[in-house]
Formats: sequence, structure tokens, C-alpha cells
Amino acid sequence: MDFELTDEQELIREAVKEFAETEITPIAAELDRDHRFPIELIPKLAGLNLMGMPYPEKVGGAGADYVSYVIAIEEISRACASTGIIVSAHTSLATWPVYKFGTEAQKDRYLADMASGRRLGAFALTEPAAGTDAGAGTATAVLSGDEYILNGTKMFITNAPYAEVYVVFAKTDPAQGTRGISAFIVEKDTPGFSVGEAEHKLGIRGSSTPPIYLADCHIPRDALLGGDGNGFKVAMQTLDGGRIGVSAQALGIAQAALDAAVAYAKERVQFGKPIATLQAIQWMIADMATQVAAARLLVYRAASCVDKGRPYSTEGAMAKLFASETATRVADRAIQIHGGYGYTESYPVERNYRDAKITELYEGTSEAQRMVISRSYLR
Amino acid sequence: MRIVVAYKWTCDPEEATVRADGTVDWSRAKPGISTYDPVAIELARRLAEAAGAELIGVTAGPKGVGAPIASKAALGRGLDRVVIIEDDSLREAGRSELAAVLAEAIRHIGGVDLVITGDSSVDVAAKMVPTVLAGELGWPAVAEVSAVTGQAGALRVERSIPGGVQVLEISGPAVLAASADAAVPRVPGMKELLAAGKKPVEQLELAALEVPPQNAVMAVRGMSRPERKARKGQLIDTADPAAAGTELITALREAGAL
Amino acid sequence: MSINAWIVVGDQPTVGNLITVARSLGGPVGAVVAGPRSVAETVAASGLDKVVWCSAPDDVPAEASAPAVADTIASDPPRVVLAGRNPGERVLLGAAAARLRAAVLTGARSVSIDGGDVIVVNAVFGDLAEETVAVSGPVALLLDGGPVPSASDGGAPIEEVSGAPLGLKVVETRTSGFDEVDLNAAHRVIGIGRGLKAREDLAMIEDLAHAINAEIACSRPVAEGLNWMGKDRYIGSSGARISPQLYLAIGISGQLQHMVGVTGAETIVAINSDPNAAVFTQTDYGLVGDLYQLVPAITAALK
Repeated sequence: MDFELTDEQELIREAVKEFAETEITPIAAELDRDHRFPIELIPKLAGLNLMGMPYPEKVGGAGADYVSYVIAIEEISRACASTGIIVSAHTSLATWPVYKFGTEAQKDRYLADMASGRRLGAFALTEPAAGTDAGAGTATAVLSGDEYILNGTKMFITNAPYAEVYVVFAKTDPAQGTRGISAFIVEKDTPGFSVGEAEHKLGIRGSSTPPIYLADCHIPRDALLGGDGNGFKVAMQTLDGGRIGVSAQALGIAQAALDAAVAYAKERVQFGKPIATLQAIQWMIADMATQVAAARLLVYRAASCVDKGRPYSTEGAMAKLFASETATRVADRAIQIHGGYGYTESYPVERNYRDAKITELYEGTSEAQRMVISRSYLR
Repeated sequence: MRIVVAYKWTCDPEEATVRADGTVDWSRAKPGISTYDPVAIELARRLAEAAGAELIGVTAGPKGVGAPIASKAALGRGLDRVVIIEDDSLREAGRSELAAVLAEAIRHIGGVDLVITGDSSVDVAAKMVPTVLAGELGWPAVAEVSAVTGQAGALRVERSIPGGVQVLEISGPAVLAASADAAVPRVPGMKELLAAGKKPVEQLELAALEVPPQNAVMAVRGMSRPERKARKGQLIDTADPAAAGTELITALREAGAL
Repeated sequence: MSINAWIVVGDQPTVGNLITVARSLGGPVGAVVAGPRSVAETVAASGLDKVVWCSAPDDVPAEASAPAVADTIASDPPRVVLAGRNPGERVLLGAAAARLRAAVLTGARSVSIDGGDVIVVNAVFGDLAEETVAVSGPVALLLDGGPVPSASDGGAPIEEVSGAPLGLKVVETRTSGFDEVDLNAAHRVIGIGRGLKAREDLAMIEDLAHAINAEIACSRPVAEGLNWMGKDRYIGSSGARISPQLYLAIGISGQLQHMVGVTGAETIVAINSDPNAAVFTQTDYGLVGDLYQLVPAITAALK
């Protein structure tokens, strides 16, 4: 068992860090404060082949392994968690189902543009009454001649309205429950497709997550993705990979909070000495660092399973569960170490704290992850 | 055109600490491409994109400079191939010795029209290797270069002078040291990094190069930690900027600094 | 006469310190000048044992005379060659060092002779440590050039040589429009760093500089086009090293590569919004906060 990264993985980390430090860190606080989507970063990320890393070069991706992809998400998220999820949702949630389930015609039409980052993607599963219970969705897709007519509301759609290509889930057969769900590729300017008001969130404020409304949205019949009634399978398999991206985002947030806490502890003097000399602080740092290290191992292991063609659903769920809870815990301790100053906008840890929480909630709540994990043990 | 970029694989002194006895502890430092070398590579790439050129990286140093990750790091920044002299006898080499080795490597490569280096290495920061190298090759050298255009045998070089910029024309091969702020190096893309491992790497044996020996021998007799002026480290409360301003001025006046 | 120490001079006669060091080593001191004749005259007037001037056409920069400089020095090989920290002089010194196969040291704090060796106390790794080096054989030293030497009695006449210059010529000179400055002569210096967001903000710094009679300088960014001031205002390991009475670091993080340029300052004050900035471990007075509020407040407090 080799715990070392390859040369390429190390170099990728260095390059993404360099990009993050020069292009992302300087705007991270502003994106959060102004709830601003970093539209200008998308072509820059695409220019470095960061918008479709794990896809083969011949379809427009970088041809990188999944561990490298996860390292990139980690380093981006360390600088800005909002930018991290923008890239992860585009790559793992939107592009992947097209890559895996798309017909040749669909791949010809969308894959190169998405894997290269020329067109941004989004994944629209969640509805007002259907979160963890994805099967309770009420969006419908009625076949009418050569078209499907979509109706419904989707919530919290990461990358809308900047995305041009949406993977949308709707029921072609409402009577069938989860087996009646189908997946569709919907382009932004389709009549009947509109995007709602921005959602104001606790964190990842640079990530745009409005609702989308489908009102007699007519799409061509061949926009069906992955076959009629296969939508739930498409969604679940997509989320299996997406959650590894989120676990990398959580890892990046945790690392940022840990770094900030270490730097502060060395600088802050109370009772005539840096607080880093106090055992209470030392033990907090020890626990935080150990948890981050453990999270890293789970995240990289899950990514490694993808690379080796092994099943990764349970491993991804463990990584996401642990890394997300680590992020909130470490960010909380980081504020504690900063004391009152950690509560102010002058320090980045309050943003880490607010950003961390979402990782326990989206792309499958921690409860959903526990369902996945326990099922694999108790089946 | 054939352009050589001389680069260094080394550690940043920011990550080193000095012990009480003056010796330097590098154990926490991770080596990388020297900070200003990517600026040199960037200038070389711009020239190559405009005029067409083969970009060859050359480096000489102790064990480690030929590690695959070092070559990939250099190649991943846009070089076509690298030539490496990795020999532990170079660990304590002085600037002139290194320059002499690089000169032999450049002669070995042959047909080189231009050598570009960074402003200085991040660790030694002597700014002398490019100029001694030029002396070894018998070529003109120009430092503080901010831009280079043109063709082999007709290079046009911009360099900083006090009060402005001077444009020079150089009629033959030359050694140029890029100023540290000549360009913001582009970040390597993922595809470039993944392709780096497939590009050619040539290792040259130091002994085979027959580098003429130096006339001077340096022996380190001792190390010490430099006397550092003790600083007060006094923090002034800035909750009220106006009060902070007054407090600072008062303190400086009392200390005789103003 | 066998020259013991050669001083290499380029376009500026600022070699006072080099002459002092050369003289301290004993033995005849010579200078080889590859700049305008007027520079050779100033240097010769300071009373050296030999002065050689490498003449060249007007549109040819000093660097083109590198072979002539190397030839001159090689024809009378010294123990030590010295040059000041300027780009042109570095090129000329490099040519001489290559020809002599001399050791090259660039951080000399002191130079002396002990028996057959030249002993140099040399700062290394950006001032992190000092090593005492014994050199057998010729050594080339890069040092702070020092002021223009004052004239004294005696001294050798100027010997002119005109070796074929290397193929480089000046085709254009563009002024940056920035005032030139000698930071070493300033008693008070304000350094600005990345904390200053826009060029217009320099006005606020200029107000403060005016109020305390300070020069403005900056930390050297690895970035292009932050062309807010002339390059002679950069302070750091690849720029100027100064020892003013007062140095104010504003919006500067305090990295080694910059701070090595100001460790000699009597008093250092820093303003930075990042409480963890390295600069605060190297200051006498530190202010953690928004420089856009603090700088005007300090200026106001002076009135």
C-alpha cells in the first residue's frame, strides 16, 4: 500500500495551488460578501483544463486520474469553497451522466463542450418536497409526439443560471415511484425553462443555487438521457461520484481552517506567550490535524477506488460523511482558537465555518450517507 | 531557434531555519523549481510562440536535481526537453564552477542561439551564474531583461535601466537574465503536466564533460548566525485609527526615530 | 607592478566602498572602466595605481566590453576582483571571473587576507546565516559600490584600450518618467507592498512621505506591470538594501526576500491587515489594521 502521491499528483497540487493563490484567494472574501458568482474564473479554470479533469483528452478533458481531480477540488476549495463546488458540480454531477449514459449523438453534442469547460453544466434533481426522498419528486415529463413536455420546480440548482446544460430529472411515469423517473438534458434557452431568484445561504455564497422552473418546457425526444425509467439509477450513480467531489471540498475547507488556526496560535500572545504554548490549544490542534489527516485518507481512498475500477459507493459515502463532519468540527475549533477575533470578518475562519456546514447537507445529507454505508454492511 | 533555459531545483530559505551554531536546517524544506525560473521559461515561451524555437531546459547540481519530479516540474512548464548534470560533487559548488558546467552542457547541446536564466536563484541569490556563464561561452550577457523578441542572430532585448528601459539589438548568441518581474508565468495546465513525463530527459555525466577546473578553492571555516537587531515588537491598538496614529507618532518621537 | 585588486567599473563611478575594501587588502589597486571616459576620469582622480579605460562606440553598452575587461584583468591577474551591485558591473565581473576561473562570492560582510588565503565572511541564504570562507586562489566579489570616491593626489594616468566589443548595441532608450532615487541616501523610507490596491492610493502614501520627509520604495513583487514606480525603488534581495533611520512597511507581508533589504534599519514600523503577517515578527512598532484608515490617521497626527 503506497501512501505517496505520484509526481504528477504532486505537480498538479502545486499548479492548482499557484492558480488558487493568484486568481481565487484575492477574490474569495469578496465573492462571499457580495454573494457573487465568479464568472470570470470559469474560462481561466477551463484554460488550465480544470473543468473536466477526469475525462479523456479525446473528449476534451485533461485525462487525469480521479485522485488528481480530487486534489484539484481540495486546493480550489481551500482558497474558496464556492469555487470548489462550482467546479465539482459541473464535473461530477453534470458532465459525468452525459459521459456515462449519453448516446453517441448526445456525447457529440455536449461532451466536448462540457469537459473542456466551454459550457457550464448543472444537475437538477432536488425539489421543494423531494430532498433525501428523491423518489417523491413531482416534476413530470410527458411524451407528446417527438417531444417531451416538462413541468415542475427544481430547488438549489448549483451553477444556475450560468450553466447552459442541465441534467434534469422528471417522472415519465408518476405511478412507478423511483422507477418512473427519467433523466433529460435541457439547454438553458429552451422556452418554458426559467431560473428563479437567487437563494441567500449561510455559506458558499459565491455559488449560485436558485430554483429552476419548468412550465410546459418542450424538449426533443432524444434529450432523454440513460433510457426511460432509468433516471433514479442515473441520479444515484452520479451522486456516488459527486459526493467524492464534495468530500474533497470539505477537506479543502478543513485544511484552510486548520492552517489559519495554526498561524494564529503562533502569533497570538496572551499571558506573555504565544497561545501555541498552551496545552489546551496544542491538543485542539493535534485533534484537528489528526481528523483532517484521516479525512484526507478516506477522500483519496475513495478516489483511488474510482481509478482502480473498484466499487466506490460506500467508500465515497464514508469519505463524504467523515470529511464533512470534520470540516464543521475543525472550522468550529478554529474559531475557538481565534477567540473573539475569529467571529469577525477580519479573519477567514468565520467564512470557513459557514461554508463547512453545507458539506453535511448537499449531495446526500450525512443521514443519507449513513443509509448507504449501513446498507452495505447490514444487507 | 534553439533556446536553453537554465533552471535550478532547490529549496526556498523561507522554509529553512538557522540553528544557534549558525548551521542551516533544511529538513522542513521541500525542493522545487527556483522561484524566478518560471519567469525565464515564460519569456522563452513567448519568444518561441512568436518566432518558433526548441526550448531546452538545462540544470546542474547535486543528487536530486535529476529526480523525475524535478524534470517533470520543468517540462510541465513548457520546455520540450531537459538536459541534466546530476553529480553530488556539485553540492558545494560555487557560482563559477556551476557556470563552467552549464557552459560545457550548452556546448554539448550545440547550436544554441540563446540562453535565458532567472534573475537569481531563490536560495543563493548571487545573480552571477548567468554572467559567468556568458564569460565562459564568450557571449554577450544582459541582465534585468524584461522582454525578448526577434530571431536567432537578430535578437531585440528590452532591459531596465535607472529611469527607464533600454532596447538592445544582439547580433549573435547571448545569455539573458530575466528580471524577477519581467512576466507573470502562466500556471501549467493539467494536460501539460500530465504530458511532461513523456518528454525527453538526457542525463550527462559530469566527468565526461571534462569541465576545466577552477583556479580557486573555497573552504568553509565556520558558520554563524548573523547579529540581528532586536526589535521591540510592540503592537499598537488600532481600534481607533486616529488614536493609533497619535500613539505611533508619540512613540516614534520618544524613541528618537522621528 | 602586479595588481593585487582590480575594481571593475561600468557606467557609474560609485565605487568608493570598493576602493576602501581593495586598499584594506594591501597591494596595488587598479580599476578597469567600461563606461564613459568621464567615469574613468573620476575614478582615476581618486588616486589608484592603475586605471584602464575600455573605449567603445557611443551606442554600445558597457556589457559589450566584457572581453576587453577580462583581457585587461587576465593580463595582470589579481588576487581579488571587485564590482558593485549593478547589472552592467555583474556582467563585467562575470566575464573576469570566468577568465580567471575565480571563486565568486556575493554576500561579503568582511574581506581580509590570512596567510595565503582570502578570508570572506559571507552572508548566505538571504541573510539567514553567515559563513566564514577561506579562498585559495583568485576571488571575485560583488559588494555595495558605495559613494563616488573623492579626488586625491597622485594616481595613475588613464590607459585606453579598445578591444572589439561584443555584438550588442543600444537602439532605443525609453524613459519611464519616474524620478530616479538613491534610497541609500534616504534617512526615512516608506515601503509599500501588495496591500496597496490601486495606483491612485499612492497619493495617500505620498502625503505621509511628504509629512515625514521620506522616500517611497516598494517590495519586489513577482508580477508584471505593477509599474507604479521606477525599479530603483525596489527593496529586497534582488533590489536595494538600505539602512535608514526609519522604515515604514505598509501593506507588506514581510517575506525574507524583501526584509533582507531593510534589516539594517534603525526603527521599523509595519502596517498590515493580516495579523499573521511575517512582518510583525520583525518590527519595533506594529499596527494590525486597515492601512486606508491608518495611513491618513498617522499623517493627520503629524500635523
